[in-house]
Amino acid sequence: MSEQEIREGMLLAVWDEPPLDFDPDTLIRRVEQKKSRRRALVAVGVATAVIAVASFSLPGLLPRENRDSQLAADNQTSASPAPAEAAEKKAQRIGDRLAASLGARTPSFKEIYASFGPGRNAVYRTQQTQPPEWRHDEKEYSGFLYLTDGIGPTALQVTVSRRTFTKNNYCAGAPLCQEVKQKDGSTVHQVEQVYASPQVQQASVAREFDSGLIVEISSFAYNPSNGVGQRETVPVRVGVLTDLVTDPDISWE
Amino acid sequence: MRKADEQGFREFAAANAASLRRTAYLFCGDWHTAEDLMQSSLMKMYLAWKRIKDLDNLIAYARKVLLRTWLDEKRRPWRRAEQRDGELPDAADATSDPDTTGAKLWARELVHTALLQVPPRQRAVLVLRYFEDLSVAEVAVAMGCTEGTVKSQTARGLATLRTIVEKLDNSSGRVAS
Repeated sequence: MSEQEIREGMLLAVWDEPPLDFDPDTLIRRVEQKKSRRRALVAVGVATAVIAVASFSLPGLLPRENRDSQLAADNQTSASPAPAEAAEKKAQRIGDRLAASLGARTPSFKEIYASFGPGRNAVYRTQQTQPPEWRHDEKEYSGFLYLTDGIGPTALQVTVSRRTFTKNNYCAGAPLCQEVKQKDGSTVHQVEQVYASPQVQQASVAREFDSGLIVEISSFAYNPSNGVGQRETVPVRVGVLTDLVTDPDISWE
Repeated sequence: MRKADEQGFREFAAANAASLRRTAYLFCGDWHTAEDLMQSSLMKMYLAWKRIKDLDNLIAYARKVLLRTWLDEKRRPWRRAEQRDGELPDAADATSDPDTTGAKLWARELVHTALLQVPPRQRAVLVLRYFEDLSVAEVAVAMGCTEGTVKSQTARGLATLRTIVEKLDNSSGRVAS
Protein backbone atom coordinates (compact mmCIF):
# COMPACT_ATOMS: atom_id res chain seq x y z
CA MET A 1 0.00 0.00 0.00
CA SER A 2 1.67 3.19 -1.19
CA GLU A 3 1.49 6.64 0.36
CA GLN A 4 -0.52 7.80 -2.65
CA GLU A 5 -3.10 5.07 -2.00
CA ILE A 6 -3.37 6.14 1.62
CA ARG A 7 -3.84 9.76 0.55
CA GLU A 8 -6.58 8.83 -1.93
CA GLY A 9 -8.16 6.48 0.57
CA MET A 10 -8.47 9.23 3.14
CA LEU A 11 -9.97 11.63 0.61
CA LEU A 12 -12.47 8.97 -0.44
CA ALA A 13 -13.26 8.21 3.19
CA VAL A 14 -14.98 11.57 3.58
CA TRP A 15 -16.92 11.41 0.33
CA ASP A 16 -20.18 10.59 2.13
CA GLU A 17 -19.80 13.48 4.53
CA PRO A 18 -23.19 14.42 6.05
CA PRO A 19 -24.37 17.98 5.49
CA LEU A 20 -22.88 20.44 7.94
CA ASP A 21 -25.42 22.37 9.94
CA PHE A 22 -23.09 24.85 11.56
CA ASP A 23 -24.03 28.35 12.68
CA PRO A 24 -21.24 30.50 14.15
CA ASP A 25 -23.81 32.71 15.92
CA THR A 26 -25.19 29.73 17.83
CA LEU A 27 -21.67 28.76 18.81
CA ILE A 28 -20.90 32.30 20.01
CA ARG A 29 -24.13 32.34 22.00
CA ARG A 30 -23.22 29.03 23.64
CA VAL A 31 -19.77 30.30 24.57
CA GLU A 32 -21.21 33.47 26.09
CA GLN A 33 -23.72 31.43 28.11
CA LYS A 34 -20.93 29.17 29.29
CA LYS A 35 -18.85 32.19 30.30
CA SER A 36 -21.67 33.73 32.31
CA ARG A 37 -22.41 30.39 33.98
CA ARG A 38 -18.75 30.02 34.88
CA ARG A 39 -18.67 33.56 36.30
CA ALA A 40 -21.75 32.82 38.41
CA LEU A 41 -20.19 29.58 39.60
CA VAL A 42 -16.97 31.35 40.54
CA ALA A 43 -18.94 34.04 42.38
CA VAL A 44 -20.83 31.41 44.36
CA GLY A 45 -17.59 29.59 45.14
CA VAL A 46 -15.85 32.74 46.30
CA ALA A 47 -18.83 33.74 48.44
CA THR A 48 -18.92 30.28 50.01
CA ALA A 49 -15.20 30.38 50.69
CA VAL A 50 -15.44 33.85 52.24
CA ILE A 51 -18.30 32.77 54.49
CA ALA A 52 -16.44 29.62 55.52
CA VAL A 53 -13.23 31.52 56.29
CA ALA A 54 -15.10 34.25 58.13
CA SER A 55 -17.02 31.73 60.22
CA PHE A 56 -13.84 30.01 61.33
CA SER A 57 -11.49 32.94 61.68
CA LEU A 58 -13.71 35.70 63.03
CA PRO A 59 -15.25 34.64 66.32
CA GLY A 60 -17.01 37.99 66.46
CA LEU A 61 -19.39 36.72 63.79
CA LEU A 62 -20.62 33.93 66.03
CA PRO A 63 -23.50 34.55 68.44
CA ARG A 64 -21.98 36.09 71.56
CA GLU A 65 -24.35 34.32 73.95
CA ASN A 66 -23.08 30.96 72.77
CA ARG A 67 -19.50 31.99 73.15
CA ASP A 68 -20.07 33.36 76.63
CA SER A 69 -21.90 30.27 77.78
CA GLN A 70 -19.00 28.29 76.38
CA LEU A 71 -16.62 30.56 78.26
CA ALA A 72 -18.59 30.10 81.45
CA ALA A 73 -18.42 26.35 81.02
CA ASP A 74 -14.69 26.61 80.49
CA ASN A 75 -14.33 28.72 83.62
CA GLN A 76 -16.17 26.16 85.70
CA THR A 77 -13.65 23.52 84.86
CA SER A 78 -10.64 25.79 84.79
CA ALA A 79 -8.46 26.10 87.86
CA SER A 80 -7.43 29.69 87.13
CA PRO A 81 -10.17 31.82 85.59
CA ALA A 82 -9.20 35.07 83.92
CA PRO A 83 -11.17 37.85 85.64
CA ALA A 84 -9.90 40.60 83.33
CA GLU A 85 -11.19 38.74 80.32
CA ALA A 86 -14.47 38.06 82.12
CA ALA A 87 -15.00 41.77 82.87
CA GLU A 88 -14.39 42.69 79.26
CA LYS A 89 -16.65 39.88 78.07
CA LYS A 90 -19.40 40.95 80.41
CA ALA A 91 -19.18 44.55 79.21
CA GLN A 92 -19.34 43.36 75.62
CA ARG A 93 -22.28 41.09 76.33
CA ILE A 94 -24.18 43.93 77.98
CA GLY A 95 -23.31 46.19 75.06
CA ASP A 96 -24.62 43.66 72.56
CA ARG A 97 -27.80 43.19 74.56
CA LEU A 98 -28.30 46.97 74.77
CA ALA A 99 -27.87 47.22 71.00
CA ALA A 100 -30.40 44.44 70.41
CA SER A 101 -32.85 45.99 72.87
CA LEU A 102 -32.56 49.45 71.30
CA GLY A 103 -32.98 47.97 67.82
CA ALA A 104 -36.13 46.15 68.90
CA ARG A 105 -37.64 49.27 70.41
CA THR A 106 -36.76 51.66 67.61
CA PRO A 107 -36.66 49.72 64.32
CA SER A 108 -35.87 52.89 62.37
CA PHE A 109 -32.38 52.94 63.88
CA LYS A 110 -29.66 51.24 61.83
CA GLU A 111 -26.10 50.14 62.50
CA ILE A 112 -26.54 49.80 66.24
CA TYR A 113 -23.54 48.51 68.15
CA ALA A 114 -21.79 49.14 71.44
CA SER A 115 -18.18 49.70 72.35
CA PHE A 116 -17.04 49.86 75.97
CA GLY A 117 -13.76 50.47 77.70
CA PRO A 118 -12.64 50.28 81.33
CA GLY A 119 -13.22 53.22 83.64
CA ARG A 120 -16.13 55.53 84.26
CA ASN A 121 -15.07 58.20 81.75
CA ALA A 122 -16.06 57.29 78.22
CA VAL A 123 -13.22 58.06 75.82
CA TYR A 124 -13.79 59.60 72.39
CA ARG A 125 -12.82 57.07 69.83
CA THR A 126 -10.71 59.66 67.98
CA GLN A 127 -8.66 60.19 71.14
CA GLN A 128 -8.01 56.51 71.58
CA THR A 129 -4.59 55.61 70.23
CA GLN A 130 -4.42 52.03 71.48
CA PRO A 131 -6.85 49.37 72.68
CA PRO A 132 -8.02 49.87 76.28
CA GLU A 133 -6.41 47.69 78.94
CA TRP A 134 -8.85 45.96 81.25
CA ARG A 135 -7.59 45.49 84.80
CA HIS A 136 -8.18 42.27 86.68
CA ASP A 137 -10.42 43.94 89.26
CA GLU A 138 -12.23 46.21 86.85
CA LYS A 139 -15.66 47.12 88.25
CA GLU A 140 -16.43 50.22 86.23
CA TYR A 141 -16.73 50.63 82.52
CA SER A 142 -18.23 53.07 80.07
CA GLY A 143 -18.63 53.66 76.37
CA PHE A 144 -21.08 54.39 73.63
CA LEU A 145 -24.02 52.74 72.05
CA TYR A 146 -23.67 53.80 68.42
CA LEU A 147 -26.66 54.17 66.13
CA THR A 148 -27.71 55.80 62.87
CA ASP A 149 -31.13 57.40 62.62
CA GLY A 150 -32.83 59.47 59.92
CA ILE A 151 -30.54 62.41 60.64
CA GLY A 152 -27.26 60.55 60.73
CA PRO A 153 -24.88 58.67 62.98
CA THR A 154 -24.85 59.45 66.70
CA ALA A 155 -24.49 57.60 70.00
CA LEU A 156 -25.84 57.15 73.50
CA GLN A 157 -23.39 57.40 76.35
CA VAL A 158 -23.35 54.53 78.83
CA THR A 159 -21.54 54.54 82.17
CA VAL A 160 -21.49 51.79 84.79
CA SER A 161 -19.75 52.99 87.92
CA ARG A 162 -19.79 53.11 91.68
CA ARG A 163 -19.51 56.86 91.93
CA THR A 164 -21.26 58.85 94.59
CA PHE A 165 -24.70 59.65 93.28
CA THR A 166 -26.87 62.51 94.52
CA LYS A 167 -30.23 63.21 93.05
CA ASN A 168 -29.87 66.98 93.46
CA ASN A 169 -26.73 67.13 91.40
CA TYR A 170 -28.19 64.82 88.78
CA CYS A 171 -31.34 66.90 88.39
CA ALA A 172 -29.78 70.35 88.68
CA GLY A 173 -31.67 72.80 86.46
CA ALA A 174 -33.71 70.08 84.76
CA PRO A 175 -37.36 70.81 83.90
CA LEU A 176 -38.05 67.07 84.16
CA CYS A 177 -36.69 65.10 87.08
CA GLN A 178 -38.45 62.07 88.43
CA GLU A 179 -37.64 58.76 89.98
CA VAL A 180 -39.26 55.36 89.53
CA LYS A 181 -38.83 52.58 92.05
CA GLN A 182 -38.16 49.14 90.63
CA LYS A 183 -39.30 45.79 91.98
CA ASP A 184 -35.78 44.73 92.81
CA GLY A 185 -35.34 47.77 95.07
CA SER A 186 -33.30 49.82 92.65
CA THR A 187 -34.34 53.33 91.65
CA VAL A 188 -34.42 54.82 88.16
CA HIS A 189 -33.88 58.59 87.96
CA GLN A 190 -35.11 60.28 84.80
CA VAL A 191 -33.86 63.69 83.74
CA GLU A 192 -34.38 65.86 80.68
CA GLN A 193 -32.47 69.09 80.13
CA VAL A 194 -33.31 71.83 77.62
CA TYR A 195 -30.53 74.34 78.38
CA ALA A 196 -32.56 77.37 77.25
CA SER A 197 -33.52 75.61 74.03
CA PRO A 198 -37.11 74.98 72.95
CA GLN A 199 -36.40 71.26 72.65
CA VAL A 200 -34.79 68.64 74.86
CA GLN A 201 -30.99 68.80 74.62
CA GLN A 202 -30.14 65.98 76.96
CA ALA A 203 -32.06 62.99 78.26
CA SER A 204 -30.52 60.83 80.97
CA VAL A 205 -31.55 57.97 83.15
CA ALA A 206 -29.59 56.60 86.09
CA ARG A 207 -30.40 53.32 87.76
CA GLU A 208 -29.22 53.26 91.34
CA PHE A 209 -28.78 49.78 92.83
CA ASP A 210 -28.68 49.06 96.53
CA SER A 211 -25.16 47.74 96.09
CA GLY A 212 -24.01 51.21 95.08
CA LEU A 213 -23.78 50.41 91.39
CA ILE A 214 -24.92 53.29 89.18
CA VAL A 215 -25.87 52.69 85.56
CA GLU A 216 -26.33 55.82 83.51
CA ILE A 217 -27.48 56.10 79.91
CA SER A 218 -27.61 59.52 78.32
CA SER A 219 -28.79 60.86 75.02
CA PHE A 220 -27.58 64.24 73.73
CA ALA A 221 -28.48 66.66 70.95
CA TYR A 222 -25.04 65.91 69.52
CA ASN A 223 -22.90 62.83 69.11
CA PRO A 224 -21.14 62.31 72.45
CA SER A 225 -18.69 59.83 70.94
CA ASN A 226 -16.96 62.54 68.92
CA GLY A 227 -18.44 65.83 70.10
CA VAL A 228 -19.93 66.80 66.73
CA GLY A 229 -23.17 66.13 64.87
CA GLN A 230 -25.26 68.84 66.51
CA ARG A 231 -28.99 68.33 66.00
CA GLU A 232 -32.20 69.97 67.21
CA THR A 233 -33.02 67.43 69.87
CA VAL A 234 -32.00 64.09 71.32
CA PRO A 235 -32.41 60.88 69.26
CA VAL A 236 -34.22 59.08 72.12
CA ARG A 237 -35.89 60.35 75.26
CA VAL A 238 -36.16 59.05 78.80
CA GLY A 239 -38.86 56.49 77.96
CA VAL A 240 -36.57 54.45 75.71
CA LEU A 241 -33.58 55.03 77.98
CA THR A 242 -35.58 53.69 80.93
CA ASP A 243 -36.52 50.63 78.92
CA LEU A 244 -32.86 50.03 78.21
CA VAL A 245 -31.65 50.48 81.75
CA THR A 246 -34.40 48.23 83.13
CA ASP A 247 -34.16 45.54 80.45
CA PRO A 248 -34.72 42.29 82.41
CA ASP A 249 -32.30 40.43 80.14
CA ILE A 250 -29.39 42.59 81.27
CA SER A 251 -27.81 41.74 84.60
CA TRP A 252 -25.92 44.91 85.46
CA GLU A 253 -24.62 43.70 88.77
CA MET B 1 -15.45 41.04 22.44
CA ARG B 2 -15.58 43.88 19.94
CA LYS B 3 -18.01 43.60 17.04
CA ALA B 4 -15.19 43.60 14.49
CA ASP B 5 -13.37 40.77 16.27
CA GLU B 6 -16.59 38.81 16.57
CA GLN B 7 -17.23 39.24 12.86
CA GLY B 8 -13.68 38.07 12.13
CA PHE B 9 -14.22 34.93 14.18
CA ARG B 10 -17.57 34.33 12.53
CA GLU B 11 -15.99 34.45 9.09
CA PHE B 12 -13.11 32.20 10.11
CA ALA B 13 -15.43 29.64 11.69
CA ALA B 14 -17.80 29.56 8.74
CA ALA B 15 -14.92 29.14 6.28
CA ASN B 16 -13.08 26.37 8.14
CA ALA B 17 -15.75 24.42 10.01
CA ALA B 18 -16.20 21.82 7.26
CA SER B 19 -12.49 21.08 6.78
CA LEU B 20 -11.95 20.87 10.55
CA ARG B 21 -14.81 18.41 10.83
CA ARG B 22 -13.33 16.24 8.07
CA THR B 23 -9.97 16.14 9.85
CA ALA B 24 -11.72 15.38 13.12
CA TYR B 25 -13.61 12.55 11.42
CA LEU B 26 -10.36 10.96 10.29
CA PHE B 27 -9.07 11.27 13.85
CA CYS B 28 -12.07 9.69 15.53
CA GLY B 29 -13.98 7.82 12.80
CA ASP B 30 -17.40 9.16 13.75
CA TRP B 31 -19.16 12.17 12.22
CA HIS B 32 -21.07 13.12 15.37
CA THR B 33 -17.96 13.06 17.51
CA ALA B 34 -16.15 14.91 14.74
CA GLU B 35 -18.75 17.68 14.83
CA ASP B 36 -18.46 17.90 18.63
CA LEU B 37 -14.67 18.11 18.39
CA MET B 38 -14.88 20.81 15.74
CA GLN B 39 -17.31 22.87 17.81
CA SER B 40 -15.28 22.45 21.01
CA SER B 41 -12.16 23.57 19.16
CA LEU B 42 -13.89 26.63 17.73
CA MET B 43 -15.27 27.49 21.17
CA LYS B 44 -11.77 27.41 22.60
CA MET B 45 -10.58 29.59 19.77
CA TYR B 46 -13.41 32.06 20.34
CA LEU B 47 -12.39 32.42 23.99
CA ALA B 48 -8.81 33.13 22.94
CA TRP B 49 -9.69 35.09 19.79
CA LYS B 50 -8.46 38.44 21.09
CA ARG B 51 -5.00 36.92 21.56
CA ILE B 52 -4.78 34.73 18.46
CA LYS B 53 -6.64 36.69 15.80
CA ASP B 54 -3.46 38.23 14.43
CA LEU B 55 -1.56 34.95 14.05
CA ASP B 56 -0.07 34.33 10.60
CA ASN B 57 -1.50 30.84 10.15
CA LEU B 58 -4.77 30.60 11.99
CA ILE B 59 -5.87 27.34 10.37
CA ALA B 60 -2.65 25.68 11.58
CA TYR B 61 -3.48 26.89 15.06
CA ALA B 62 -7.03 25.56 14.64
CA ARG B 63 -5.66 22.12 13.65
CA LYS B 64 -3.44 22.16 16.72
CA VAL B 65 -6.41 22.96 18.97
CA LEU B 66 -8.47 20.25 17.27
CA LEU B 67 -5.75 17.66 17.79
CA ARG B 68 -5.34 18.59 21.45
CA THR B 69 -9.09 18.54 21.98
CA TRP B 70 -9.33 15.07 20.48
CA LEU B 71 -6.35 13.71 22.45
CA ASP B 72 -7.77 15.22 25.66
CA GLU B 73 -11.12 13.69 24.90
CA LYS B 74 -9.53 10.28 24.37
CA ARG B 75 -7.68 10.48 27.68
CA ARG B 76 -10.81 11.06 29.71
CA PRO B 77 -11.73 7.89 31.57
CA TRP B 78 -15.41 8.73 31.51
CA ARG B 79 -15.38 9.29 27.75
CA ARG B 80 -18.59 8.03 26.29
CA ALA B 81 -17.86 5.61 23.51
CA GLU B 82 -20.58 4.73 21.10
CA GLN B 83 -21.65 1.10 21.26
CA ARG B 84 -21.44 -0.19 17.73
CA ASP B 85 -23.39 -3.40 18.15
CA GLY B 86 -26.68 -2.27 16.59
CA GLU B 87 -28.08 -3.53 13.30
CA LEU B 88 -27.79 -1.01 10.47
CA PRO B 89 -30.74 -0.87 8.03
CA ASP B 90 -29.80 -2.70 4.84
CA ALA B 91 -31.20 -0.42 2.12
CA ALA B 92 -29.96 0.15 -1.43
CA ASP B 93 -28.45 3.55 -2.30
CA ALA B 94 -30.06 4.51 -5.58
CA THR B 95 -27.73 7.43 -6.15
CA SER B 96 -24.53 5.43 -5.89
CA ASP B 97 -22.35 4.72 -8.93
CA PRO B 98 -21.55 0.99 -9.08
CA ASP B 99 -18.17 1.67 -10.68
CA THR B 100 -16.90 3.78 -7.80
CA THR B 101 -18.77 2.16 -4.95
CA GLY B 102 -16.16 -0.54 -4.45
CA ALA B 103 -13.36 2.00 -4.05
CA LYS B 104 -15.44 4.16 -1.73
CA LEU B 105 -16.38 1.24 0.44
CA TRP B 106 -12.75 0.20 0.60
CA ALA B 107 -11.86 3.76 1.70
CA ARG B 108 -14.52 3.75 4.36
CA GLU B 109 -13.23 0.42 5.58
CA LEU B 110 -9.76 1.91 5.62
CA VAL B 111 -10.88 4.61 8.01
CA HIS B 112 -13.27 2.65 10.17
CA THR B 113 -11.23 -0.45 10.57
CA ALA B 114 -7.61 0.11 9.67
CA LEU B 115 -6.93 3.72 10.57
CA LEU B 116 -8.84 3.47 13.85
CA GLN B 117 -6.57 0.62 14.93
CA VAL B 118 -3.47 2.78 14.56
CA PRO B 119 -2.40 4.37 17.88
CA PRO B 120 -3.78 7.92 18.30
CA ARG B 121 -0.60 9.97 17.82
CA GLN B 122 0.52 7.90 14.84
CA ARG B 123 -2.96 8.24 13.40
CA ALA B 124 -2.82 12.00 13.88
CA VAL B 125 0.49 12.19 12.06
CA LEU B 126 -0.86 10.15 9.16
CA VAL B 127 -3.98 12.30 8.84
CA LEU B 128 -2.06 15.55 8.98
CA ARG B 129 0.63 14.35 6.56
CA TYR B 130 -1.54 12.58 3.96
CA PHE B 131 -5.00 14.12 4.30
CA GLU B 132 -4.08 17.70 5.17
CA ASP B 133 -0.92 17.48 3.03
CA LEU B 134 1.16 19.24 5.65
CA SER B 135 4.94 19.22 5.62
CA VAL B 136 6.90 17.48 8.36
CA ALA B 137 7.67 20.87 9.90
CA GLU B 138 4.00 21.90 9.94
CA VAL B 139 2.95 18.60 11.50
CA ALA B 140 5.65 19.06 14.14
CA VAL B 141 4.20 22.46 15.00
CA ALA B 142 0.66 21.10 15.13
CA MET B 143 1.67 18.19 17.34
CA GLY B 144 4.07 20.16 19.50
CA CYS B 145 6.99 17.78 18.89
CA THR B 146 10.21 17.67 16.90
CA GLU B 147 10.43 16.91 13.19
CA GLY B 148 12.35 13.74 14.01
CA THR B 149 9.45 12.53 16.11
CA VAL B 150 7.05 13.26 13.26
CA LYS B 151 9.19 11.22 10.87
CA SER B 152 9.47 8.27 13.22
CA GLN B 153 5.74 8.38 14.06
CA THR B 154 4.93 8.52 10.34
CA ALA B 155 7.10 5.51 9.62
CA ARG B 156 5.60 3.53 12.50
CA GLY B 157 2.08 4.64 11.59
CA LEU B 158 2.52 3.56 7.97
CA ALA B 159 3.93 0.22 9.03
CA THR B 160 1.04 -0.37 11.42
CA LEU B 161 -1.51 0.68 8.80
CA ARG B 162 0.01 -1.58 6.13
CA THR B 163 -0.03 -4.53 8.50
CA ILE B 164 -3.67 -3.97 9.38
CA VAL B 165 -4.71 -3.45 5.74
CA GLU B 166 -2.83 -6.60 4.78
CA LYS B 167 -4.72 -8.54 7.42
CA LEU B 168 -8.00 -7.08 6.19
CA ASP B 169 -7.18 -8.04 2.60
CA ASN B 170 -6.27 -11.56 3.66
CA SER B 171 -9.43 -12.03 5.68
CA SER B 172 -11.61 -10.66 2.84
CA GLY B 173 -9.74 -12.94 0.43
CA ARG B 174 -10.49 -15.92 2.65
CA VAL B 175 -14.12 -14.94 2.77
CA ALA B 176 -14.24 -14.58 -1.04
CA SER B 177 -12.64 -17.91 -1.65
